[in-house]
Amino acid sequence: MTSHRTDRAGLIDRTQPRNFTFDGKAYRGFEGDTLASALLANGVRVMGRSFKYHRPRGPWGAWVDDPNAIMTVTLDGRSFPNCPAATTPLVEDMQARAVNAWPSAAFDIKAGLDLFHRWLGAGFYYKTFMWPDWHLFEPMIRKMAGLGDISRDAPKNYTADQVHDHCEVLVIGGGAAGLACARAAAEAGRGVVLVDDHPIFGGGLHQSVQIEDRTPSEWIADQLAAIMGAGGRVLPTTTAFGVYDHGLVGLAEYGAFGTAPHLHRMRADRIVLATGALDRPVTFAGNDRPGVMAVDAACEYLARYGVLVGRRIALASNNSLADAAEAMLTQAGAKITRISPQDGAIRALGGKQLKGLAQGLRRHEVDTVLASGGLTPLVHLWRHAGGKLDWCAARQAFLPGAAPDGMVAIGAANGTFDLDQALSEARAIGAGNASDAAARTYSLTPLWPEPGDKGRQWIDFQHDVTLKDVELAARENYVSVEHLKRYTTLGMASDQGKTSNMAGLAAMAAIQDRPLPEVGTTTFRPPFVPVPFEMYHGHHGKQLWHPLKRLALEPQHRAAGAALGEYGGWLRPGWYGTGNRGDLIRREVLSARNAAGIFDASPLGKIEVMGPDAEDFVNFIYYNTIRTLKPGNIRYGFMLTEGGIVMDDGVIARLTENRFVISCSSGHVDSVREHLEAWRQDGNNPDRIFIHDLTQQWSTVTITGPKARDILAKLPLGLDLSAQAFPHMTVQETQREETPIRIARVSFTGDISYEISIRSSRASDLWDKVVAAGEPHGATPIGIEALSILRAEKGYIMVGKDTDGETMPHDLGITIPRLKKKPAYIGDRSLHSDKANLPDRKALVGLAVGDGDKVLPTGAHIVDGTLSRSLGYVTSSYDSPTLGHPVALGLLENGSARTGEIVSVWHMGETRQATVCAACFFDPEGERLHA
Amino acid sequence: MRDDSKKWDAPGAPTTLEMSDGLTITPVQLARQTLLSGVDVLGRTQHPIAAWSGVVTAQTYALSLRRDRVLLVNGPALADGWHGDIAQAVSDVSDCYSVFDIRGDRAFSVLKRGAELRLDVPSKSVARLLFGLGVFLYRFEATDTFRVHVFRGQAETFFKSLKFAFPSL
Amino acid sequence: MQIFPCPFCGPRNETEFHFAGELGKVRPDTGKEVNARDWATYLYAQRNEKGLVREVWLHLTCSELFVMERDSLTMDVRASKSLRGDAL
Repeated sequence: MTSHRTDRAGLIDRTQPRNFTFDGKAYRGFEGDTLASALLANGVRVMGRSFKYHRPRGPWGAWVDDPNAIMTVTLDGRSFPNCPAATTPLVEDMQARAVNAWPSAAFDIKAGLDLFHRWLGAGFYYKTFMWPDWHLFEPMIRKMAGLGDISRDAPKNYTADQVHDHCEVLVIGGGAAGLACARAAAEAGRGVVLVDDHPIFGGGLHQSVQIEDRTPSEWIADQLAAIMGAGGRVLPTTTAFGVYDHGLVGLAEYGAFGTAPHLHRMRADRIVLATGALDRPVTFAGNDRPGVMAVDAACEYLARYGVLVGRRIALASNNSLADAAEAMLTQAGAKITRISPQDGAIRALGGKQLKGLAQGLRRHEVDTVLASGGLTPLVHLWRHAGGKLDWCAARQAFLPGAAPDGMVAIGAANGTFDLDQALSEARAIGAGNASDAAARTYSLTPLWPEPGDKGRQWIDFQHDVTLKDVELAARENYVSVEHLKRYTTLGMASDQGKTSNMAGLAAMAAIQDRPLPEVGTTTFRPPFVPVPFEMYHGHHGKQLWHPLKRLALEPQHRAAGAALGEYGGWLRPGWYGTGNRGDLIRREVLSARNAAGIFDASPLGKIEVMGPDAEDFVNFIYYNTIRTLKPGNIRYGFMLTEGGIVMDDGVIARLTENRFVISCSSGHVDSVREHLEAWRQDGNNPDRIFIHDLTQQWSTVTITGPKARDILAKLPLGLDLSAQAFPHMTVQETQREETPIRIARVSFTGDISYEISIRSSRASDLWDKVVAAGEPHGATPIGIEALSILRAEKGYIMVGKDTDGETMPHDLGITIPRLKKKPAYIGDRSLHSDKANLPDRKALVGLAVGDGDKVLPTGAHIVDGTLSRSLGYVTSSYDSPTLGHPVALGLLENGSARTGEIVSVWHMGETRQATVCAACFFDPEGERLHA
Repeated sequence: MRDDSKKWDAPGAPTTLEMSDGLTITPVQLARQTLLSGVDVLGRTQHPIAAWSGVVTAQTYALSLRRDRVLLVNGPALADGWHGDIAQAVSDVSDCYSVFDIRGDRAFSVLKRGAELRLDVPSKSVARLLFGLGVFLYRFEATDTFRVHVFRGQAETFFKSLKFAFPSL
Repeated sequence: MQIFPCPFCGPRNETEFHFAGELGKVRPDTGKEVNARDWATYLYAQRNEKGLVREVWLHLTCSELFVMERDSLTMDVRASKSLRGDAL
């Protein structure tokens, strides 16, 4: 193997060799190399196989524009898929493997696929494998195509730091223009941040001999020192991958290989794009062969890494930048043959190894072809921000046009390809002045794909899209660029069409004989380069993924062996004890019915509404009339949406004339509070109503069951608990050791219940006392699962479980306010719409099954006799421990008129019978409730 | 529903967390927190008012939360409910919010992991979202000390979020 | 992520806000007869304009309900003021 390393110094450290392997073979490079530069230095050119045809591929570019050399890299036992070789820094002991190739990129077993290319054009798979079913073939096809394999082991300690930041001026791109602009801005007193995705600033400057009488490295160091001296910050190896609303830029700052990049959410008052431009490929037969490379890439490999990519080089360029490249490569020892691709069709000769280049009858014996069809400014970020593009005929490129707010483009990104002009533009913009356009020396001859040309000419290297595929798309009328993109997958690979989009658009323009700007561009979307998902989620994993609210009594529940789970955003006890879950829950239900259950109800809403207009306000908010509620009393009620749909149910207590406590469902506290605040300020007098959400100030311990009163009586509260003094649906306030205690007699089980509320720091004391007082009576703590059964036995609903997005209060049997309540309330008019008056509305019913029958499945459909239509469905269904048979609630069309009717219940192919009954299975007269 | 007890760390008693670079997170026990709402409550309060990003130095002070609401810290005991004489709604919220002090050179940098914060952009309210949680955030006693009130049910999440934001520094 | 100006708090991240509705929706007086068409218009008719829009937003952290003028195309925010109309 011949070394391609020249004696040009480059930016590598030759005192620091780095050993690595590629496809199992050992190589050596240097600190400062990328995987691609080190392999090229070792004479390796085939670095990957293409996506679809398994064609051998080598690098086209020297940085983010390379679509071909993609590798899975293993380091220290951790493997990372889809690493672009051209941007992956070389690290000692790296093991790289080409993707989509086996056993190696050089000898890929599936290379034979390429022989069938004639039948494998765009849309081939979808057209061919329609019968009998695409899904039969899909797995096999997916296995054959594609890029890297993902490792099944998630890398450990791979977490991205995420930080919000702000700066006055963000300069993106640290080439000549970016450096000059950042310096000018910093020296003008602006807070500057300069980012560049390379480890070493300078962009293409390293190709130059001198700049402003300094060597490139000296000049770059001068600028960086001046920027930092003026208080600016510089971030190397940092990619600006997306621009979002209001000047937010996503920056991915890379550290050592194998560590997750840091995400900076940078809010910039002003954004300067100095992102440069790319050489675009020339479309010719065999233009994807290893050894065909961008002119600028060859110069970069030489300037940064001291690598001369070939010895006999054909330089096929249509523009004036080729002269400098020729001089530089010649000086490094290459023999250059200049080709004018616009003078006649060219084609690459050879296979894995490039044999030469032919133009007409002329053959050039070369080992490398460097091509450039002109420069394409990198305007991705400009488009992310909503900036417009203008077609420039002189440069044959889309340039930044009308600017988005706070953004400006300079240098090559703005089409300013000449260094002197770019520097003066950058300095003017940096200092806050307008830039005056100077003369241009850049010139080119238009050169675009020519439809009808012979041979396989690649448009999109990464997704294997050829000129013929574009022609096929046009024939089949996929002519809009967005359709072309999706039909052929052009530009949809991980490089997002950096090198292919312009050629694709130009090909379509030529096929249709339309001017290129009329064809337009596809949408540019973030990220500019692929970034790991880890960067987006950062620390939001595990317990911080969907953090739950925690109960003040959690230590008590854990000590009692509670099974904890998420219920409505809180971590709550589902049941207590170890053993069979069903048995444990059953035992809790029975102890609540026979003695008492002790339940942590702390998440129940405690939203206070106070002020002189509080009464009118809650009367407006609730479906039920609240105005007539006397202090000390409690009422059950619904809150509706303006559409008349039940959004929450719960009780409201009136403590004093001007003070109400809304006890909304645990999971609805935030939405109810927001609902109240919005209505308070819209249509009511917000100076006379105030809303305090005290849900977490108070913890609530509920005692429910026939022994509840006896247990409560053991607490020294000094209250008369008799049914006469403290009846159902009333509230009492008292104190114990100067701590206020509020006791509400309300029930969600159908048995006598007391909800005792106390400030949260004293909750554990209360809990312990209640549990101790309950023990002699056989009372035990119960979890939500038991509570769910208890309330279903009684037919008490849970909004969102036993109701859906169409349920109105009269569907639940609460009809009086709809008929009688006079003052306006939210949703009132909707309860009298045609829809609300339909007789076949789904209404709440009970469903009974025959003796010995199993529990009906929740979610099962109630169907008509011919199974052709769903009439409703089962919403809650349990095997009732209290009653010894299953109970179920459901929503059923015209349900209230169907009592006694036998209906069919269908679930997963099985049909069963059930009898419609009242939605209450336990103590329908309410004797136990009022005891 | 499955048993997820093991998925969630049992919340520990709040303790001071001290990092090697001098950064500390200290749970704070306040004597009292009182929510006061009423027209012009901001203009009528007798105590120093804390807003963003000034530094509070008093021991009794009022956090400006809304146009018509303050949180009185370490104020006198007041009865809960509607006070018709002063037209204010009063609630003791001492147990509603857990309070932490985050102190050190890096304190602000840590907090910037949780929100887009800028010291040069003032705000009349100390209420904001931090690490996705509704909090009251202000500077207390020193420019490098940040005090946070967070709903007690979310204190564990807040503490964890801070802890995860540390190692990255 | 956008920055919205709360009339009381000043500029804050959009995650702190909820959209409450288009400006100009007046709840019909349901104490009187409201015909079905008017009620349906109130419930469902949205202008959903392209360009300059005036909307009501709720700042979740301070609960201020306010009017924001913004461009639905460019996301440019022009101004905001309290729904109560007073200067804060």
